[in-house]
Amino acid sequence: MRLSFGPEVEDFRGELVAFLDAHAPAEALAGYDFADSGAEERAELIPAWARSWQATLFDHGWMIPGYPPELGGRNATPLQTLVYLEEMARRRMPRSLHFPGYAIVAPSLLDFGNEEQQRFVAPAIRGDTIWCIGMSEPNAGSDLAGLQTRAELDGERFVVNGQKVWTSYAMVAQKCFVYVRTDPTVPKHKGISLLIVDMDTPGIDVRPLRHLSGAANFAEVFFTDVSVPAANLVGGLNDGWRITQGSLAHERAGLWVEGVSRLEATVQALVDLVRRRGLAGDTGVRRQIAALYEQAASLRALGYKGFASFAQGSSAPEHSYMKMATSELGKAAYELGMQLQGADAVTTDPERGEEHGRWVHMFFMSFANTIAGGSSEIQRNIIAQRVLGLPRA
Amino acid sequence: MDFTLTDEQQLLRDTARTLLAKECPTSLVRAHIDDPAVADALWDRERDFAGLGDGPLTDLCLFTAETGYVAAPGPFFATTALFAPLLAAAGDDRLAATLAGETSGTVAMAGLDGTWAPNEEPVKRFVPELDSVEWVAVVEAGPTLRVVPTAGLPMRLLGTADWSRRLFEFDVADLDGARRPLDVDAVDAVVAGATVALAAEMVGTARRLFDMALEYAKQRVQFDHPIGSFQAIQHRLAELSLAVERADSAAQYAAMSLDAGTPDRRRAVHVAKSAAGTAATRAAKDSIQVHGGIGYTWEHDLHLFIRRAYGSESWLGTTGWHHDRLAELLLDA
Repeated sequence: MRLSFGPEVEDFRGELVAFLDAHAPAEALAGYDFADSGAEERAELIPAWARSWQATLFDHGWMIPGYPPELGGRNATPLQTLVYLEEMARRRMPRSLHFPGYAIVAPSLLDFGNEEQQRFVAPAIRGDTIWCIGMSEPNAGSDLAGLQTRAELDGERFVVNGQKVWTSYAMVAQKCFVYVRTDPTVPKHKGISLLIVDMDTPGIDVRPLRHLSGAANFAEVFFTDVSVPAANLVGGLNDGWRITQGSLAHERAGLWVEGVSRLEATVQALVDLVRRRGLAGDTGVRRQIAALYEQAASLRALGYKGFASFAQGSSAPEHSYMKMATSELGKAAYELGMQLQGADAVTTDPERGEEHGRWVHMFFMSFANTIAGGSSEIQRNIIAQRVLGLPRA
Repeated sequence: MDFTLTDEQQLLRDTARTLLAKECPTSLVRAHIDDPAVADALWDRERDFAGLGDGPLTDLCLFTAETGYVAAPGPFFATTALFAPLLAAAGDDRLAATLAGETSGTVAMAGLDGTWAPNEEPVKRFVPELDSVEWVAVVEAGPTLRVVPTAGLPMRLLGTADWSRRLFEFDVADLDGARRPLDVDAVDAVVAGATVALAAEMVGTARRLFDMALEYAKQRVQFDHPIGSFQAIQHRLAELSLAVERADSAAQYAAMSLDAGTPDRRRAVHVAKSAAGTAATRAAKDSIQVHGGIGYTWEHDLHLFIRRAYGSESWLGTTGWHHDRLAELLLDA
């Protein structure tokens, strides 16, 4: 056990830091507030600076360091990738403001796409093509395999009918990864296929979906007799379920860094708030702050410990622990921020109260974090069954 | 930071695990309740590892995590985590024999309120294993140090709910021996190191309680299914395992920061003990809840570890006490 990594890793860090100092745009250096998803309601969904920053990262091999140069990387080792995620999170600097293309579509196509489809990979990572993912449906949330959007093969084309929901970036996307039911007669996991659908195909209706903060960064997508070339099938017919598990596997062991960094920044903001409000002498408040700090600090240690076991070949189950813990704690931390503001907890009036309702806004936004990407309950199921080996009901 | 164990550390952990599983079965922990002398044989085997008292702390913690797993009684912790580091800090010539496992010792420092800091109180309390070691190092205000033999010393066994760790009280006012000055930061560092070694030990106890619950959940059948297939049990154990893993990581990190002298080491110590306290007490409660009625019996071994968990939680600073110290570092700095 040691506190720092070897010289080959620290050299890599130095190279990255030099690149960021030389190239990062002012907007990225200012620190995009990851916790503040509502920033999108005040600006364009994907502003021009973010698009050109993503392209710059790609061109210099810093977009997905673990990939080869032609895919925006530099063949970095897992440890170097962890250092990359560390440095980006420390600066609260985004590499992209739209994750579906680089984080889901690209790795899935690399694993399951044919030669023709792999042409889409580099533009997806560089951000030249904006993608969305048609996965969740009104009746298929946690039980994703229960999806009902139908695709019927009619000669050389699939005809798609159904509805997707919570589809991030559907309003601006050029392409969509759509999971469809191609065989309703077999057990649900065995009748799902994956299609690539151009968003300008007739029959697609995108309706922005406002979430509880009032902003709309995702949409409902309706498919009515949408015609999709059969060649757009990814992987085998009825073999789409296993592709849903795809993601940046080599980055998975380091994804916790961003969540923990955000949590630590929130704890620091709470410390500042306690001081500003003159509450530093309140025993109850002091213990709440200390308990949050304890959890954030020990989660960072757990993240690194999990990475060590991943680097030695284990499957890094810590990801489920970290996802569940950082999202649940974030929610609790924002609520504590409101509590510290007393009667002004819900005051959003720009001329009254303080911080213009920042804490209540973050708290409301944070509801999404314990639901999206596998709810906390699903994470507990995963931990119980895959990590602890408890039997399924 | 890199949590990968070196080959030597892996070997140390495996050796400790095998040794303690064999030498410290629950039958020994039970027998020790009525006859503390049964733990002498265990200490005879542990003497080979007394050298861990000279650091690095990360290695000592690998060993104490295993003593916590079996709720080991006896003077190993007092000798290696408290006595030896204090002798090292004072440059005492009994250190060599202690590290060689040829002698044993404990430390008296806390007064009646249980805070481990030098003080002027004449009565020292919460002194571990005073009747089973050869020496006691008494730290008093100044700070000063006196190392005296325990033979013939008047002492009182403090009745506690944890019978696996024996705590004593004794009056230091009329002790013989000259007081030597000690460096205040060195005393601080000894207490910090012992606190982290205890945190690691508590993680071991928490892990034992968790393992017992997990094993039971897999084999106990109710409503025609193993109870571990029910979400109510699964989610409880998932949350508990997170608490244990978190505490384990925090203790290891604190040991690394003390070894390396990082600027955040004081915070790391408080994080480690409070995370371990949270995990161990939660493990105690959750484990008996998963076991149901059977865990409530005297015959079942569960209470041996529940007792150890709460005994450790109260010693060297409770979770609340460490949170208060952490709050001072965060808010008053």
